[in-house]
Formats: sequence, C-alpha cells, structure tokens
Amino acid sequence: MKRRDFLKFIGVGAAGGAAGFIIGKVSKPPGAKLIPYVVPDENIIPGVANYYSSLCTLCSAGCGIHARVMEGRVKKIEGNPLHPVNKGRLCALGQAMPQVTYNPDRIKGPLKRRGAKGTGDYVDITWEEAITIISKNLSDIAKSGSADGLYLLTPPQRGNLGALIDSFLTAYGSSNHYQYELFGQRNLYFANHAAMGLANAPHYDIENAKYVLSFGADFTSTWMSPVHYSAAYGEMRQAGKGGRGALVQVEPRLSLTGANADEWVPAKPGTEAILALAIAHAVVEKGWAKGGDLDGWRHVLAGYKPSVAADLTDVSEERIYAIARAFTHTRPSLAIGGDGVSSYQDGVSGLMAVNILNHLAGNNGATGGVIPNPEPAIKRDSAVDFKRRISTLAADAAKGKVKALIIYNSNPVFTTPVAAKLASVIRDAPFVVSMSSFLDETAVYADLILPMHTGLEDWGDDAPEPGVGTRVMTIMQPAITPYYNSKGAGDVFLGVAKQMGGRLSGLKANSFAEYLKDAWRTAYSKDRQMSASALTFDEFWEGALKRGGWWPKATVEARRQVTVSARSVSAHLAQMPARFEGKDTDYPFYLMLYPHSAHRDGRGANLPWLQELPDPMTSVVWGTWVEVNPKTAARLGLKEGDMAAIESPSGKITAPVYLYPGIRPDTVAVPIGQGHTQYGRYAARRGANPIEMLPHSEDARTGAIALNSTRVKLSGAGPSNMVKMEGSTKELGREIIQTAPPDGRSES
Amino acid sequence: MSVLNSIGEKLKSYRVPGYYTKFDHRWGMVIDLDRCNGCEACVTACYAENNLPVVGEKDCANSRAFSWLRVERYVEGEYPDVKVGFIPIMCHNCAKAPCETGCPVYATYHNQDGLNVQVYNRCVGTFTCATYCPYDVRRFNWRTYRPDKPLDEQLNPDVTVREMGVMEKCTFCIQRIRAGKDNAKDERRGVKDGEITPACAQSCPTGAITFGDLNDPQSMVSKLALSPRRYRLLEELNTDPSVIYLKRVAKDGSTGTGE
Amino acid sequence: MAQQEPESNNLTYKGVNEDVMGIITRSGLGYYLLTGAFALAAIGLFIMPWAYQIYLGQGVTGLNAPVFWGIYLVNFVFWVGIAHAGTLISAMLFITQTPWRRAIARGAETMTLFALVLVTLFIFIHMGRPWNFYWTFPYPNQRQLWTSFVSPITFDVFAIGTYTTSSIVFLYFGLIPDIAALSHTATGWRKALYETLSWGWRGTDAQWSVQAKACMFFSAFIMPLVVSVHSVVSWDFALSVVPGFSKTVFAPYFVTGALLSGFAGVLLMLSIMREVYPVMKKYVTNYHYDRIGVFVLVLSLTWSYLTLMEVATGLYANTSLEMEHLKFKLATPPYLQLFALMIFCNTVMPLVFIVRKVRPSRFGRFVVPVFVLTGMWLERYLIIPNSLSRKFLPWMWHDYAPTWVEASIAVGTLCGFIAMFMMFIKVFPIISLFEVKEDVGIPMRNGKRH
Ligand SMILES: Nc1nc2c(c(=O)[nH]1)N[C@H]1C(S)=C(S)[C@@H](COP(=O)(O)OP(=O)(O)OC[C@H]3O[C@@H](n4cnc5c(=O)[nH]c(N)nc54)[C@H](O)[C@@H]3O)O[C@H]1N2
Ligand code: SF4
Ligand code: SF4
Ligand code: SF4
Ligand code: SF4
Ligand code: SF4
Repeated sequence: MKRRDFLKFIGVGAAGGAAGFIIGKVSKPPGAKLIPYVVPDENIIPGVANYYSSLCTLCSAGCGIHARVMEGRVKKIEGNPLHPVNKGRLCALGQAMPQVTYNPDRIKGPLKRRGAKGTGDYVDITWEEAITIISKNLSDIAKSGSADGLYLLTPPQRGNLGALIDSFLTAYGSSNHYQYELFGQRNLYFANHAAMGLANAPHYDIENAKYVLSFGADFTSTWMSPVHYSAAYGEMRQAGKGGRGALVQVEPRLSLTGANADEWVPAKPGTEAILALAIAHAVVEKGWAKGGDLDGWRHVLAGYKPSVAADLTDVSEERIYAIARAFTHTRPSLAIGGDGVSSYQDGVSGLMAVNILNHLAGNNGATGGVIPNPEPAIKRDSAVDFKRRISTLAADAAKGKVKALIIYNSNPVFTTPVAAKLASVIRDAPFVVSMSSFLDETAVYADLILPMHTGLEDWGDDAPEPGVGTRVMTIMQPAITPYYNSKGAGDVFLGVAKQMGGRLSGLKANSFAEYLKDAWRTAYSKDRQMSASALTFDEFWEGALKRGGWWPKATVEARRQVTVSARSVSAHLAQMPARFEGKDTDYPFYLMLYPHSAHRDGRGANLPWLQELPDPMTSVVWGTWVEVNPKTAARLGLKEGDMAAIESPSGKITAPVYLYPGIRPDTVAVPIGQGHTQYGRYAARRGANPIEMLPHSEDARTGAIALNSTRVKLSGAGPSNMVKMEGSTKELGREIIQTAPPDGRSES
Repeated sequence: MSVLNSIGEKLKSYRVPGYYTKFDHRWGMVIDLDRCNGCEACVTACYAENNLPVVGEKDCANSRAFSWLRVERYVEGEYPDVKVGFIPIMCHNCAKAPCETGCPVYATYHNQDGLNVQVYNRCVGTFTCATYCPYDVRRFNWRTYRPDKPLDEQLNPDVTVREMGVMEKCTFCIQRIRAGKDNAKDERRGVKDGEITPACAQSCPTGAITFGDLNDPQSMVSKLALSPRRYRLLEELNTDPSVIYLKRVAKDGSTGTGE
Repeated sequence: MAQQEPESNNLTYKGVNEDVMGIITRSGLGYYLLTGAFALAAIGLFIMPWAYQIYLGQGVTGLNAPVFWGIYLVNFVFWVGIAHAGTLISAMLFITQTPWRRAIARGAETMTLFALVLVTLFIFIHMGRPWNFYWTFPYPNQRQLWTSFVSPITFDVFAIGTYTTSSIVFLYFGLIPDIAALSHTATGWRKALYETLSWGWRGTDAQWSVQAKACMFFSAFIMPLVVSVHSVVSWDFALSVVPGFSKTVFAPYFVTGALLSGFAGVLLMLSIMREVYPVMKKYVTNYHYDRIGVFVLVLSLTWSYLTLMEVATGLYANTSLEMEHLKFKLATPPYLQLFALMIFCNTVMPLVFIVRKVRPSRFGRFVVPVFVLTGMWLERYLIIPNSLSRKFLPWMWHDYAPTWVEASIAVGTLCGFIAMFMMFIKVFPIISLFEVKEDVGIPMRNGKRH
C-alpha cells in the first residue's frame, strides 16, 4: 500500500483507525516523533501525532515549521526550533496555515471559464483537460512565432520551483517572468546593490545591536522577516551582554514596532530621507564618522544641514544632533530602512540614506550591524529584474504583446492601484491561467483556474530572504495528502512540458518531488560543506527532511566587507520631500498605507482566526479603519467609530475612524488587507481596500509601487459598525503595566 | 461522638485554604514585558491549540470573542509624547482563586498541580466564576459554536470542543502538561524543566513567555521570578496568581537618545 | 386618625364566610378572561422566549464578557425582595401579636409564595445549562460529586430552598382551618379539594392548639430568614472582589431594600384587590394603609441612608476602582438619569407618607408603591450589570443592554405572577377567615382592637 493511499484510507474513518492501531501496536517506533516523509507508513498511529518539518509559505520570510499531523490531518503548525530563521517561533499569520488548507472556500478542482470574465462562472474539468488546454494554447502561440508573448506573473521565486519555472520559460522561448509582490522590497535590493553591491538582502543583526535606529521598519510585525527580527528584538532587549539595546523609531505613524521603541521621532511624511541625511551630516560635521573620504561625504551631504532639515522634517536641530551622537557613540548601532521610507515614489533615496548612516557609523560588516549574507547553497537567479514591473506589463498588454498570461500565487489586481489598470490587462489578455488555491480578485478574470496545493501538501524548497548571516536551505514536504483535487505548481509545469514535448522535452522529471530531489543531489555533490555533512546523499536527504532543511552548524564564516562610497550614492539622494498627489489646500492630509499585521497585503483576510485577531494597535476586528489623530478628529467633528469618507485625487473609500494618538495630526493611515470583492466568505465584502485611492506611482529605478503617494481629505459619512475589542486604553493609575528604570532596579 | 469528630476534622482540613498540603507542581509563567512587543502570535497559538471558536463580527461587537489570552494595550500621553504598553493576559491560575469560591459545583477548582482547572462537563453555567475573576479571562459558550466545514479537520483531538452553556478559560494548556507528565512517567523520571511548553509560550516570537514549575527552585521560571523587575497583576487582591510579569524597562529621561 | 369606613364594623362569622367565599366564587367572565390573558401572556412572553433561549443558548441575551450577569439576576434579586414582606408581615408581626396583620397576612404570604416561584425560575433562566440545575444540590451519587459549600451560589440554593419550603408550609398551616370552613359550603370539585386539603380538620381544641403552636413555631423559624435570605443573596455579590459588589454594607442594604419593595408590593396588591373586590374594604381599612405607610416611610429613610453610605464610602475611598465605578453609575448617561430616577422613586416619593392623610389616599395606595417598585428594580440594575461593566482591567470594560428576550421574559414572568395570583384567589381565601373572625364580636375600630 502506498503511503498516500494509506493516509486516504485512515482519513475516511475509524475503520482505518482500527487498522492503524494494530499496525501501531506491532511497530511503534520508540519515541521518534520527527519523521521524514520517506519513512514507511507504519509510523502512523491513530491518536499519536507525527510531526513533519517543512516551510511556512504564508509570507516570504521562509520560517521553518513543524506540522503536527494526526490521522492524515494537520492539527497545528509550530515553529521548527532548529530553524535558524525563526528558532521555533511563528507569527500569527503563519500559524493560520491549516486554515488555508482546510478553508471552506478553497477551489476543489480545476475550473474552466463558462460565463463572462469576472463573473466567477466556471465549470469543473479534469486535470488532464486542464493540462491539454494549456498545452494547446501554448503550442499555438509558439507556432505563431510569438513565444515571448507568454507572460508569467509570480511572487519572487527563490527555490527550485523558480529554477524549474525559468527553465520552462527559457525552453519555451519567453523571457517574461514577472516577479511581483506588493511588499517585495525592490527598492531595498536596488539601494543595497547600488550602494554596497549586495545581490541579496543583508542580515540586520538586531539581536546584538545596542542602538537600533529604524526608519519606518515595522520589523517586529510585518517587515521582511518579522519572526526572526522579533526573536532578535527580544534578545536585544533582555538577553544581550552589555545591557539592553535601545530602539528609536522614525515614522509619522506609530507602527507596532514603533510602539515598543524607547523614542518616537514623528518626522513629517516624505522627509525621513532628509532626516537621515541630516543625521549623517551631523555625524560628519562633528567628526564622529568612521571610514575615509570625509571630504567626499562632506560634499555629498552639504545640502542637508540639520538646521535646514529641522524645518522640513519637523524634527528639531538638537534632536538631530542628539540622535547622531547616540547613533555613533552607542556601539554597536544599526540603522534600518523599512517599508515606511521605501514606500515613497523616491523610495530608494530613503534606503540609500540609511546605508550612508550605517557606513558612517561603521556598522557595515560589524556584529550588531549590517552583515552581508553568504551565497545560498542552492543557486538561483537572485537578481531582481527591475525592468519587469507592473507598468511595463500594462504597457506590453496595451501593445498586444501579451498572448498568454499565467499567474501563480499572486493577487496583483488586489495589490496594485486601480490606476495601474491591471484588472483590464488580465481581463483583456487572450488566455489567462490562474494557479491559485482561491478564487480571488485576479483569478476571477482567468480562463482557467488551477487549484494549487497549499504549503502543507506540496514539495518545495527555499533559501530564506533575507538570510540570517549563515547559509540556510529549507525543504518543504507534504505533511498530508492533498485534501482536494489540487496540484503543485511544479507538477503543472512538468505536466505541460511533458504533453507539449518538443522544445520543452528537456524537462523530464516525472514529478516535481523527483525534480527537487535531483536538484538537491546535484547541490550535495557540488557543495563541499553539504557533502561533508553526511556519508551518502540518501542519508543527507533523510536528515534534511527530518530537520527541515540544511544549514551548517554555526560556523563563523569569513564576512565580506562592504563599504559605501560617497560617489555611489550621490545619484540617489533625496533632493526634496517626497511627492504627494493632491494640493494640500484641497487634500489636507498625508495618507499612509501599511500592511495589516495579520493580513499583510490582504492574503490573510480569508482566514477566520486572523479576521478575529484584534489588530495590536487598534484592537479592531473584521474590518478596515482609518487612524486619525484625536485632535484632528475633533477639529473635523469626527468621533471614534464615525464612518469617514477618505478621498484622494485618484479614488475614494469609506472607513470607520479610529482615534489614534500615535499619528501626526497632518496624517491619516489606513491598513491594507481588507476590502476584498472575492477571496471567499471571510474576506469578501468586508472593509475597504485603500490601495484603490492611490495613483499609480512607481519608483522610476525599480518599479516599486509607492504606497505613500497621495494626500487625502476626510469627511464624516454617518455611523459605522466598527468592531474593536478594547474597552478603555487608560490605565487610570492601576499599575497594570509597570515599568522599571534601565538598570533593572525596581521602581516602586 | 468520635465519628462526628473525625468527620469534623476531615471537613476542617478540607476547608482550610491550601487543602493540598503538598502540590506536585506549581505551574507558573513568567512574562517579560520588556520583550513582549504585542504581536499577538500567542493569541493565535492559543486558538489553534485549544479549539477556540471564531464567533464572528456580531458577537465580537458584544465582547464575546473567545480569546483565552488577550494582549491589552494601554496608551498614555498625547502626540507626540505617546507611551504605549502591551500586556498579555490569560488565566493567572491563582492559588487563591476568587473564581473557585464562586462555583457551586466544583466545575472550577484547584488541582494538585496548582492549576485552576475547569471541568466543562460539570459546569452548569452560573457565570459566578466569571464575574468573580478580577482578570476577566473567562469565556462563555453563548451558543454552540462550530467551525465551517472542513475547518474542523484541524481541531486538536487532545482538547474537547465545548458546547453551549459552559464556561471556559486558559488551562495553561493542561493537555500539554498531561502529555509531558505521561512521557516522564513512561520514562520513570520527573518532568524536566522546559520540557512542557504551552502553545502561547511556544510560539512567542520574542521569547517573552517562560513556563515551568514554580515549586522547583532550579526551574527557569523560579529563577526569572527572582528578578527585581518581578510583579504580579492586581496582586493587592490577594489572588496569589501564578503568572509573574517582569516590568517593562522605560528610560526615565525624556530624550533617551543614549546619553 | 384615618378616615373611618362604615363596613369595618358589624362583622359576623357568617358574614365573614360569605364575604370571603364571595371573593372566591363570585367573579364575572371578565375576571377569567383577564386571568387567561395573563396566562397567555406568560406563555407568549416568557415560556416561548425561554424555550428559544434554551435552544439557542445564552447568546440571545445581551450578556457579554465581563457583564455576565444582567437583568435575569436583577429580576432574581427583585423577586426575592418582593418575597420578603410576606415573611415580615406573617412572622414578625405574628410574634409581636400585631393585630392589623390579620387581614393582610394571607395576601402577603401568597405574594411571597409566587414571588419565590419567580425567584426559582430566574435562577434557572439565567443558567447556561438549566437542565443540569440539580447538580447544585448535594445529592448522593456514585461519582462522589458534591456541591461547594464555600460558594455563595450554594448558600442561595439553601437559603432560597429553606425559605420556599417554610413559606409553603407556613401558608398551608394557616390555610387548614379556612379550607375546612370552606368545605362546609363548597360543592363539586371544590368540596373534594378542600376536604382533602383540610386533612380532617374538625376544629377541636387540640387541633387549634397544635395549629397555633405550629404557626408560632414557624413564625419563630422564619423570622431569622427575613434577615438571612437577602443577606445571603447580597453575598452573591459582596463575597466577590468586584468594585461595586464587594461591600460590607450589602447585607443590611439588601434586606432593607427587600423589605421596602416587599411592603410596596403588598401595598399595591391590597389596593388593587380592594378595587376589584369592594367587599374587602371591610377588612383592609385605612388603618392598614396607615400602618403600611409608616413602614414604607421608615424603610425608605433607612434605605436612603444606606445608599448615601454606599456612595460616600466609595467617594471616601477615592481609589480609581471605586471612582470609575461611581462615575459610571452616577455621572454617565443613561445611568445618571436612572440613578436620579431611583432616588426619586425610593427616597423622594415615600416622603409623602410623612403626611398621614396621604397614606390611605389613592395617590398613596397606587402611585407611591409603583414608584418604589420601579426604584427598587433600578437599584438592582444599577448594582449588578453596572458594576460588571467597569471591573479591574479597563481594557475589558464593556457595556450591557438587555435584549428583547430578556425584556420579554421579565414582563412574561410578571404576567405569570399575576395569573398565578389571580388563580390562587379563586381557590383559596385571600383573607384569613379564622384570624379575622377572632375580631368578630369585639368592638373594632379601623381594624384596631380596643
Ligand atoms: N482491549 C479492550 N478490548 C475491549 C474492551 C476494553 O475495555 N479493552 N471493551 C470491550 C467492550 S466493553 C466493548 S462494548 C467493545 C466495543 O467494541 P466495538 O463494538 O468494536 O466498538 P467501537 O470501537 O466503538 O466500534 C464501533 C464501530 O461502529 C461505528 N459506528 C459508530 N456509529 C455507527 C452507526 O450509527 N452505525 C454503524 N453501522 N456504525 C457505527 C464506529 O465508527 C466503529 O467503527 O470492546 C470490547 N473490547
Ligand atoms: S513570518 Fe512569514 S514565514 Fe514566518 S511564520 Fe510568519 S508568515 Fe510564516
Ligand atoms: S507572542 Fe510574545 S511578543 Fe507577541 S504578544 Fe504574545 S507574548 Fe507578546
Ligand atoms: S485568573 Fe480568574 S479565572 Fe484564572 S484562576 Fe484567577 S480568578 Fe480564576
Ligand atoms: S459557570 Fe460553571 S464553572 Fe463557573 S461558577 Fe458556574 S458552574 Fe462553576
Ligand atoms: S497557556 Fe495555553 S491555554 Fe493558556 S493562554 Fe497559553 S496557549 Fe492559551
């Protein structure tokens, strides 16, 4: 009996339970609970959980997980304690993985469009039919000589699935692999590459830092690798030698991370880059800078005198000098530029300024600073293709270049501004395939919908991005047999290749699992560190499956030294505050959009646990809200819970007002994540999508979409039914959250 | 007479607080508020581990969400001098639990592990325990909540699915404590420190929550509990809670830029 | 001196029998239709919503975390209060041989009985799993499960249980001679019923002496219950640590309030009965109204003093816990208005009884008791859900408002109470024949022996 069949068997009822019980009695393994997928079926004992090491696929951080499986069903996801990224911990989003797999609104089998696009009218087809339809369409396109008309839109791919997809495209004859993600950090890659020549994101060593200066990086909640950074944050606060690390947060709207900072610097929106440069100016001016070429820096930074910057940024000159002093005198220190600063139209400039700060303080390459990551064990094309961006996709579509569009694991219609016109691009494309587990705003325009395995049902691998300073490769293995009639993306591409043959006949693997294992075999034979870790590949592979991947034991690797030269950055400095659409007289408030802590770019909105999880900063559940400073609200005559109409030159939404003391009076903020029109019962028709208000403004260098790019006006629009869980947020002297001074002495 | 006396003695010993003269364990938690960033990963972990139902928008509006563990946020000051603090609050498994006094049927009582346990089968739903609990951690099954199918596939078989009319609350993940003790017993040894981890502590990204036996002076919790930052919530009520907080560290200077 | 009413003189044994029998048997169709209407209202407004609640769960109420106790508990405490006048009038005034109690005691006891029916109902109504109610009794079982004797809820089970049992017994013992008397003249099913229930009462000296002893014994037995029952009920709250609940003054405060509402209830009940049965004017005279009025006045003043103490102690303590609770109760709409209304009802209104003339007036008979009853209901409302709305951790503060189910059950049970009362007086004498007869032949003026 095959293991998969066996799982199905025991899945159907207690009859199987009885059988499993007997088998279990005969061959109970002594205490071994971490078992790899390849070990025989006898390890499954009803009532006794097995744990499979795998990968969290809910965001790009790449945390390692243990899936707890009983009787063929995933019961819980926990962090893999051995995994260097998350060290056994998980965020709320990651823990909701089983709710993706067992979501009542998952697509249960392949679908072919019957009604008009966008109506969601589909008929069930078989996988054979689906693969045939794709093969036929692609063959026709290739025959007509426009193979380059095949466009693929996916989130950034880093594992062997990415390698497979790229081989597929290359063999087919298309170069159009678009890798898009709303919070895809294109600006960060660009800035770090331009300034330091880094191809991948560096490791920000928050754990060992004693002074973290964060420019809009909500790193303990949503930024890049939140679990990893949260773990580091905890260590920085209480575990480090040499005392507790301090956190200073520069952002117009207090994020969750900002709320934990020792100091909040509410710079004016769009001036954070100037503030950073002014701090850099102060560092150089006071002679606190490390490294050479001081004249060069003086020259580059000449325009950013703290006295001038103070007016622009709304941060006093003294404070700029104080931060400059603390940043250079507290060792080690670390500056981070997050989504807050990279989300302007000139987002690169803010990140560039942060790079300058780290350079001047001597943080690059230092423990507790910015540490370049080693090359991943399994190589893939890591460079971001800045040329292929949403606007070029739309332009190509307008020129009729897009003959077929395959969208995998991405919902760009939801995450791009209406002005980007992606919905019409997808609607008008001649042949659209959506590879998605859910009928979302993008899939609803597809001709063919291929239901994907979830991360708990599929094979895969991953090199975490950002890395953690050492080499890490994670393996994703199925913890359960597929619950529905879905497939993995790799198997779809291999299936199409097999059917089309011809130029694609090079892709011969029978399954993606086989393809993956072969890729690892190759890596094992080439990589000396890998082959040294086990005698045979099979032994290595089994060990890797058990552990969840491969990472060498903590060895101090030779660190690449990086420097930032004044010349390399000078082309990317902020010349003026970031541009916002709309005149301040008509649209008095800056609009800041940020990812909802659990739904992120909207992907978590279909998971009931997350809908009911109170937002940490507002406690709002099941909806959208707009954060308004209490004074501003009073001036506008708005009370908490009033519905507000928020209008930008590009669009308008309504959202209930939440009185937020942690926001500048000239700014309002709305979380991204709700406002789905599709995406299942829990997400659809709930709240508003603030991205609809944005103009389509991209950083010219990278194509990153600017989220902080418009001004808005606010007016009352009647009552709302905002649901928040907090009663009062005033302690009233009840000493609920007690504080102690830094030396650890008790205060009271 | 002697029979009466012996009954009297029995009753007396039973009435005296601390009926169990020697607890096997005293499970406790130390939560470091200087680590906790309020991310609520722990809240979701508790939902996942303990089969907590999702009640929907309407019941949430009426404060009926099931979170056995919640993260409270307190905000002092006005822009730009805003101070925010977070505190995760679950059942404090008070050694002198007011809720236990309230229950007429011993559906909530103290067990030999020093836990305040909740026996769902026994509960008749008088709400007394919940009104008496100063920490407002008790949650009631206002109706029979069932997840939409097939979300129920994920339910934890080690934990019951409660029905309408019963009270519930954080159990310190008693099923994990049981499993840990069973394991130790199978191996003919005592429970090792750190071997048992409740779901919230397990998931906490910042490592803010530590769980262990306060009776064991060598345990991590016992050591952390000696911290000068230690305090307990509403300690003045004499509930003798088993959750110990470590104070958040706050710079006393106003600029705090490292000087 | 209250206005003299001519009917109060010239009572004869026969006349008394006829008068009382008349109350039982002589009623128009209208009376029965009205009784039926109340019974139907009880079914529609109480039984059906309750079935709905049992089927769907307590979610149909407005309860939430942390306001786990709402108007079901308010009604529970309210009806325990109503039940108090019966005890006081029957037992305390019996022992003190206060003569004017005779004509009104039976009515008060009946009210007590049905109030206790509602009390018991509200305990079940407010439970999450009422079908398991018997788990709150210490009954022997093989699982060795026992009730917790430290729980005030268990105290309640005992206090209310004892009170209900003794009230029924007391009422019944008093009824025996009357039932026997009625059985002489009754016919048909009534005769059969009365003969069965009279347990062979012949009116022998020995029987009278046993009956008198028994009544005296039960009076003595019940008397402490006047103080203990509502003290125990107050401990449901006072034994917790909740601000607004945890108050040492609660036992006397609750007892006083209970008596105040109980007397108001008796007052209103007698007044309505007299309107319906003018013949009762012979027995319930202005003198009774005068006496009850004095009781209401004294109890109101005591209650007002204790209310002042309750608030003042909180203000004096001046802790955040007390102050927020008081602020919520005294300064937050709509509770501010409700509190003002409560003071008006319970303190200001009864002051009119200082003027003797007002006591037997229509205003004194109908308006004042309605206000006092409203005020006492509000008092419980302002204590129970309001305190729970503002507990220790401000994050969990949440307000409460009853839903239609709770409101409907409150009204429906009241209808049921009225229906039961109306049916009872069609079967049993609402005025104690034998006790009133004790006054026959003795010159009576305004119900007072000379
Ligand atoms: N080692 C050991 N062996 C024992 C015992 C013991 O204590 N230890 N106890 C003994 C005793 S007392 C008993 S009663 C037996 C019980 O032994 P079984 O009768 O085998 O009891 P179950 O294991 O409950 O299996 C009953 C089967 O009925 C199925 N089922 C449930 N509902 C229905 C239904 O509505 N219709 C149908 N057709 N099927 C249904 C269930 O899925 C399950 O497969 O075991 C005995 N064997
Ligand atoms: S940070 Fe991302 S990868 Fe890690 S647990 Fe959360 S969702 Fe999963
Ligand atoms: S998971 Fe940890 S850091 Fe996050 S809120 Fe809970 S205790 Fe705090
Ligand atoms: S926290 Fe509340 S529920 Fe938990 S033991 Fe203490 S009083 Fe009881
Ligand atoms: S609700 Fe249940 S546990 Fe709580 S006091 Fe009542 S019976 Fe006991
Ligand atoms: S200890 Fe367990 S039950 Fe209690 S809050 Fe944590 S996860 Fe929930």
